[in-house]
Amino acid sequence: MSCPICQKETDAKYRPFCSRRCADIDLGRWLKGSYVIPGPALEEEEAAHIVDPRQETPKH
Amino acid sequence: MAEAAKKSQEYGADSIKVLRGLEAVRKRPGMYIGDTDDGSGLHHMVYEVVDNGIDEALAGHATAVTVIIHADDSVSVRDNGRGIPVDIHQEEGVSAAEVIMTQLHAGGKFNNTDDSGNAYKVSGGLHGVGVSVVNALSEWLELTVWRDDKEYRARFEDGECVTHVYEYGPAPGMRGTQVRFLASAKVNRPDGTFSNLEYSFKVLETRLRELAFLNSGVRIIIEDERHAEPQRTELFYEGGVREFVKYLDRSKSSIMAEPIYMVGERGGIGVEVAMWWNDSYHENVLPFTNNIPQRDGGTHLAGLRGALTRTINNYAQSSGIAKKEKVDFTGDDAREGLTCVLSVKVPDPKFSSQTKDKLVSSEVRPAVENMVNEKLAEWFEENPANAKIIVGKIIEAALAREAARKARELTRRKTAMDVASLPGKLADCQEKDPALSELFIVEGDSAGGSAKQGRSRKNQAVLPLRGKILNVERARFDRMLASETVGTLITALGTGIGRDEFDIKKLRYHKIIIMTDADVDGAHIRTLLLTFFYRQMPEIIDGGYLYIAQPPLYKVARGKSEVYLKDQAAFEDYLIEMGTDGAVLRLGSGEEIAGADLQRVVEGARQFRRVLEAFPTHYPRGILEQAALAGAFDAGKADLDLQAVADTVAKRLDGVAVEYERGWTGRITQDHGIRLSRVLRGVEELRTLDGGVLRSGEARRLSHLAGTTRDIYARPGQLVRKEREVPIHGPVDLLRAVLAEGEKGLSLQRYKGLGEMNPEQLWETTLDPEARTLLQVKVDDVADADDIFTKLMGDVVEPRREFIQQNALNVEHLDF
Repeated sequence: MSCPICQKETDAKYRPFCSRRCADIDLGRWLKGSYVIPGPALEEEEAAHIVDPRQETPKH
Repeated sequence: MAEAAKKSQEYGADSIKVLRGLEAVRKRPGMYIGDTDDGSGLHHMVYEVVDNGIDEALAGHATAVTVIIHADDSVSVRDNGRGIPVDIHQEEGVSAAEVIMTQLHAGGKFNNTDDSGNAYKVSGGLHGVGVSVVNALSEWLELTVWRDDKEYRARFEDGECVTHVYEYGPAPGMRGTQVRFLASAKVNRPDGTFSNLEYSFKVLETRLRELAFLNSGVRIIIEDERHAEPQRTELFYEGGVREFVKYLDRSKSSIMAEPIYMVGERGGIGVEVAMWWNDSYHENVLPFTNNIPQRDGGTHLAGLRGALTRTINNYAQSSGIAKKEKVDFTGDDAREGLTCVLSVKVPDPKFSSQTKDKLVSSEVRPAVENMVNEKLAEWFEENPANAKIIVGKIIEAALAREAARKARELTRRKTAMDVASLPGKLADCQEKDPALSELFIVEGDSAGGSAKQGRSRKNQAVLPLRGKILNVERARFDRMLASETVGTLITALGTGIGRDEFDIKKLRYHKIIIMTDADVDGAHIRTLLLTFFYRQMPEIIDGGYLYIAQPPLYKVARGKSEVYLKDQAAFEDYLIEMGTDGAVLRLGSGEEIAGADLQRVVEGARQFRRVLEAFPTHYPRGILEQAALAGAFDAGKADLDLQAVADTVAKRLDGVAVEYERGWTGRITQDHGIRLSRVLRGVEELRTLDGGVLRSGEARRLSHLAGTTRDIYARPGQLVRKEREVPIHGPVDLLRAVLAEGEKGLSLQRYKGLGEMNPEQLWETTLDPEARTLLQVKVDDVADADDIFTKLMGDVVEPRREFIQQNALNVEHLDF
């Protein structure tokens, strides 16, 4: 078994990680919501309805 | 210009200023040379002399310094420089060499900020007190100078000159200075200064090695003649501080091939830095000023740290790495695993104490900061691959540090109060005994709402989570566990989080049940949750506390009876049960099969279909089926008489076809396969079973299944039910007919998500302990989930997309 973060050998004490460090890095990513599974691309029609709030400009 | 330069290099008796008072040194040796008992002062005696030689080398006049520990415990230090001036000093009326040896604070390097012909621009010297201190603390000292092709000698005892400098003889081509001294020690006389004369070869070697690194190109030789087998080490490094860090990290594993090396000058201050990161967590930064180490750092170190943090921060921001990982790092993170040697050459440096452990010269900070800022940014730009590795490591350090802090924070939350104060999140249960309590983790707001209403409040808690976020840039919805979700989950479980804090004994629910939709999105959320538990709370899986709910995929109603079915397979089971009820399979032979026997035959047909589907899609299923029944896939048969096999398959195909579409013929192909053809309305239809597929593993399996049922499908039969008759030419026909019969009079609802069930239905099917089925999660299953997770998260976009598409269905059927 190998560490999910660095692929080194797993240490039973920190399973499935190799070290405290890698376990903490992983925890950090969970706590920050960094782990994202990409979804399928939206159909063009659906995507057209998505407005990027950063680019939205007020209409006069 | 050249003359001015020459003048500034002149090194005669005039450049020695005299300050008096050597007696004071003997009275308070500690002030000048350091501790006289623990050995540090004794070794400083050597360094003090060596520094003079190094200074000669720095000034460009010497190339080597040799240190010998003699058998009589005296030490000699020799350089091949210009030789100390032996002419008469105007102020003192004795030779300059004698002044240097007997007058405190006399030395060529003493007035180095003076522009008018100073001997050394920058110089070290451990305490800046000069070799006179060494003389003062020596029982005897012999000076030898080679200068102007002559050898000069002088001898001192207890600091007093007993033999004035005299010309010993001619020494053509020789140059340099040698000082040999026997330190005054209590072991030799009661009024001696030092406790003993035990020089450590290793201690001397370490410091001399440092000097060799810091003074690139100077050869330093150390010899020990005290033992039967003399020891000798030659230290010579051309790479300077770059080689120094390589030497320091010689047994560590570095994350980059070569150290970063920067050298420059700012405002008359020379700065040389080498930086190398290794995979450890320790910082090892060694600052030097004029070759002297500063244990407590100072302004040069502050400048380096400031520049390092700033440059790396800039790079992390501009490269997008910081944004991706959503983390801010500190200087400590940047220096984790850093080995660095920082060497500055400063005229007239100021230190906070006699021991020079901390540099306080304020002009050094901006000089270092400026130089490192500029050169490091340049390096990062020119070495993007290495820059990414370094910043990646720093970001990881920051992540780990922050995670540990957050873990402590989360764990310290007072569970009862904080859970109640989590707005609209956890709907807790009344039960306080963990063994009786259940927590449902439910995906989606509407499903969460139904679950909250449908549950048994007594012992079932519900934690709804939203796992969908809009990725505007990519125009898609991604799946994730939001940070608040993870925080709420941890708080609800009560165990705390992190390697130090997690405590399984505090678990508040002994059944944690993941309840997600039976679609790809649901599978992704489940994969995320399983991976989280597997990685961060493996004890929960070990303890058997983690489960997966099995909500139904179908509801079927026939008349007044309603049945929930959990998946496609259960649905087919149900249809077969209904479709075979009252049905009879009449074989071509006239034999009839019904009831349990018929169900067995249909089950066989289902297996047949499953194997059939394993063939590559470009082989027509109908041809494969008939070929199997004709025995084309039987082991060895195709090799025995291929034409006979081809004819049999063609004949069976004609049997299936309607009258005017018959006329199949079979031929042998070059690769020992079969080509089947017929003419339909003037157009030839060609179907090929190549040699490869005839002899494939799938063919073998299909042949095995066909063998057991060959009698049933030997001649066309019929499925008869409620006066309907359907012709049957093979297992696929039979299965299709039975399923079609099963669906008659049936109303079917397929649940796309848990949210489509009302609270009562959810209770009846999924929550009610009497009716539900739960799958207990086992470690091995979750290791697979982690694997899927890793692939789903992968950095390489194309293989990942392919993987998602291929596994979309697999994931759906990923029932642990």
